[in-house]
Amino acid sequence: MERNVQKNGLVNLVAAVLVFLAAFAVTSYVNSLAGQACTIFLGLGVLVTFTGWFQMRLEDNERLERLEVEELARARGETTLFASKDAEVFPAQRARLQFEKFFVPALGALLFVLEAGAAWLLWRWTGKSESVIVADRAMASLSLFGIFALLLFLLGRFSVTIARLEDHRLLRPGASFLLAGAYLCFVTALGIAGAWAELPKADFYIARALCVLLGVMAAEMLVTLLLEIYRPRIKGKVARPLYESRLVGLLAQPESLFTTAAQALDYQFGFKVSETWFFQLLQQNLPLLLLAQLAALVLSTCVVFVAAGERAVLEHFGRPVAVLEPGAHLKWPWPADQIYRHRTEQIQTFIVGAQLEAGSEEANAILWSISHGKEDNFLVANRAPDTIKTDSDTAGDLLKAPPVSLIAVSIPVQFQITNVMAWAYTNADPAGLLQDLATRVVVHYLAGVDLNDVMSHLRQEATETLRNQIQAAADTARLGAKITFVGLQDIHPPTPVAGDYEKVVGAEQTKLAAILQAQAEAIRTNALAGARAFTTTNEADALRQRLEVSALARAALFTNQIPAFEAAPSVYRQRAYFQTFAAATANSRKYILLVTNTSDVLIFNLEDKIREDLLNLNVPSSSK
Amino acid sequence: MKRNATTILIGTVLVVIFALLLFVFQVRQSEVAILTTFEKPTAEPYDKPGAYLKWPWPIQKVYKFDQRIQNFEDKFSQTLTADNNNLIVTLYTGWRISDARLFYPKFQGSVPAAQRILEGILRSAQNAVIGKHNLSDFVNANPKELKFDAIEAEIQQAVQTDLSTNDYGITIEFLGFKKIELPESVTQTVFDRMKNERQKLISKTENEGKAEAQKIQSAADRQAAETIANADAAATRIRGEGEAAAAKVLPVFQQNPALANYLLRIDALKQSLSQRATLIFDERTPPFDLFLNFPTNTPSR
Repeated sequence: MERNVQKNGLVNLVAAVLVFLAAFAVTSYVNSLAGQACTIFLGLGVLVTFTGWFQMRLEDNERLERLEVEELARARGETTLFASKDAEVFPAQRARLQFEKFFVPALGALLFVLEAGAAWLLWRWTGKSESVIVADRAMASLSLFGIFALLLFLLGRFSVTIARLEDHRLLRPGASFLLAGAYLCFVTALGIAGAWAELPKADFYIARALCVLLGVMAAEMLVTLLLEIYRPRIKGKVARPLYESRLVGLLAQPESLFTTAAQALDYQFGFKVSETWFFQLLQQNLPLLLLAQLAALVLSTCVVFVAAGERAVLEHFGRPVAVLEPGAHLKWPWPADQIYRHRTEQIQTFIVGAQLEAGSEEANAILWSISHGKEDNFLVANRAPDTIKTDSDTAGDLLKAPPVSLIAVSIPVQFQITNVMAWAYTNADPAGLLQDLATRVVVHYLAGVDLNDVMSHLRQEATETLRNQIQAAADTARLGAKITFVGLQDIHPPTPVAGDYEKVVGAEQTKLAAILQAQAEAIRTNALAGARAFTTTNEADALRQRLEVSALARAALFTNQIPAFEAAPSVYRQRAYFQTFAAATANSRKYILLVTNTSDVLIFNLEDKIREDLLNLNVPSSSK
Repeated sequence: MKRNATTILIGTVLVVIFALLLFVFQVRQSEVAILTTFEKPTAEPYDKPGAYLKWPWPIQKVYKFDQRIQNFEDKFSQTLTADNNNLIVTLYTGWRISDARLFYPKFQGSVPAAQRILEGILRSAQNAVIGKHNLSDFVNANPKELKFDAIEAEIQQAVQTDLSTNDYGITIEFLGFKKIELPESVTQTVFDRMKNERQKLISKTENEGKAEAQKIQSAADRQAAETIANADAAATRIRGEGEAAAAKVLPVFQQNPALANYLLRIDALKQSLSQRATLIFDERTPPFDLFLNFPTNTPSR
């Protein structure tokens, strides 16, 4: 009796669609991440199941068409079947061929895009999503997913068996998806149950695992599409459906792994490797090997290697029993003994205040006036008094607002874990707490010091004070950490006012320049005054000398003139007069009036003569 | 037969592991656990580390909580001081579950839920306490006048009172200001004031320079004047010495005063005519007396 496989395909399709819709609704209802991934997988199953069923219909139509043509040919008495090669005679065959040529590769590409896109988007979404399973709805959802799993398992198992026994290649892809979908529904149900039973992360991890599965399926589809291009087309040989995933088939029927491996080995070596004693032994003792593997895994948890710079706290059934030094150690297997590692030797650092921008660290210079990170300004006291009096204030009722300034701070704090037990068991987040404590100490310290002091002479003292205070706070909180360094290298006025601080330095230079200029001018003035004094005294000296020498010379001359005078007083006198007169008046203008017996009036113009060139200017006459 | 034995062994191992997971639970040093039987908390909380037995889920369920100090950091919130100054503050607090039996039903064992409640209580206490203090209690150039520790203690006391009154099963271990800031608009005015402060300093420095320069110049001028005055005095003195030395030869001229005076006169004449001069003589002045009786033009009538 021939089974109508097309009906099986249709039933599978209907079941796949129903379960897909129901799973989507339940997932939204319970808020399960794994349910989302499972629903996507079921959706892909719907696509594959539909394609398989449709292709089955096409092949069925082709088969019926072939029978009709055969019947027609027999009735006409033709001996050669399919004598005509006209495609119009076989429309169903043509439709099937067109479907396989165009639709199936397009579907393969679509499946690849959907699988890859779903894997990527789902991975990102699960990483960001903070949704948790609604506890009240977990039980109902768990049951529903269980029912989906059972339904899909029964249908899938039946269809897979039918497909294998009767070799229905087009029923196989959808059936495999149904069966794999059943397992995924079961796993999703486990995830929901885990959230209900103290394992809230189970749902998340299952969702992540399904993302990986979707990614691998996408990779497989891509490889299949690429191989399809180069696949040898042998006439008469029926090809495996492009949209059939071997991975899904393996997931649905894990027992087929050995069969597949055996076939691959047989093909690779050219003889029946699967019939050798070794392969048979391997196949028969697989559970034992798996057990041995499990035992090895458990035993591997009995040895622990603590790396240099680390200390590990060993807990025996949750009770800390030892601190393990670097090296190899033996312990009871998991979960009896567990270790928790801490970086005790490593100097760890955090920043109080602004974090340097990426790139600023590579910069050659870190300047106040250029922002090198998201600035974190701290309140700092200001010593200058500032008193505000408002009109409404009564006498003595002054609003005294203490002057405050802001300071940009980026203080690296380095620390080392000195007591692992205190570090691990006193606070849930010791590193975060230490950062909070350090920030509080910095805020407190800056609120009580003057801005200019902390940036100048108090800097060194501030470093030491902050380190001591942070250490004291850490000790009070029993953190078990030693503060090794507190740096005040990046503490400065906020960027908007940094330029004005730099101008103060400029003003100092201007002041110095003015003083230096005045000093230079003073030196010049004094030097010139000295020179002038020297000249004055020298001139006086010269004058004195001249007076002395001249007096002596004149005396000597006079002594010699006396005899000449005494010898001829009038002649000497006249001679001296005329000699002097001639010499003295040589360059003078002289008018000599020869007086007549008339009484004429002479007028002399003794004005200075105006420059000749100006006097001789020709003024043009005005023309009428 | 051998295969069956293997299967039984594997099955046994799996059952044992599964049974251990079902019937045993561990409590870590850092944890405290509540055991519920059909959702009803039973027995004392398990606050000592070790392995304990329980009935499998869903009969008994274990709820574990971290009993270490939890660090909670509040959001930045704006508040007003007693002297009407706006501040933006954020607090951090270390809290821990002091009584898991009280904590579990109040918050369904959820630490985030507990922190949400704590956030509200914390902010309320913070605003109430800060409102009683002036800004100078938070920022002051005199560290002795700061009341940081006292304010923190007040807030912690208020929060702890609230928590204890409502039996939340939570204890506050410590509390502190993580950050104190000013609102953005106030920040800008503080920047302006800081700039003006710098401008004042710049003006002071520059004008100090100018004053100093002026002083130096003035001192130099004074010193130069002194030097020149001294030189002038010395020169006068030297000239006097010259005069005195010249006067020593005057007795020589006394031998013939008439001649000496005559020579002085003609010397004076010589010197007075050394510059541009216009002289008008008649024929009686020697040597022009040579022109006497020269025939001249007869006057015309």
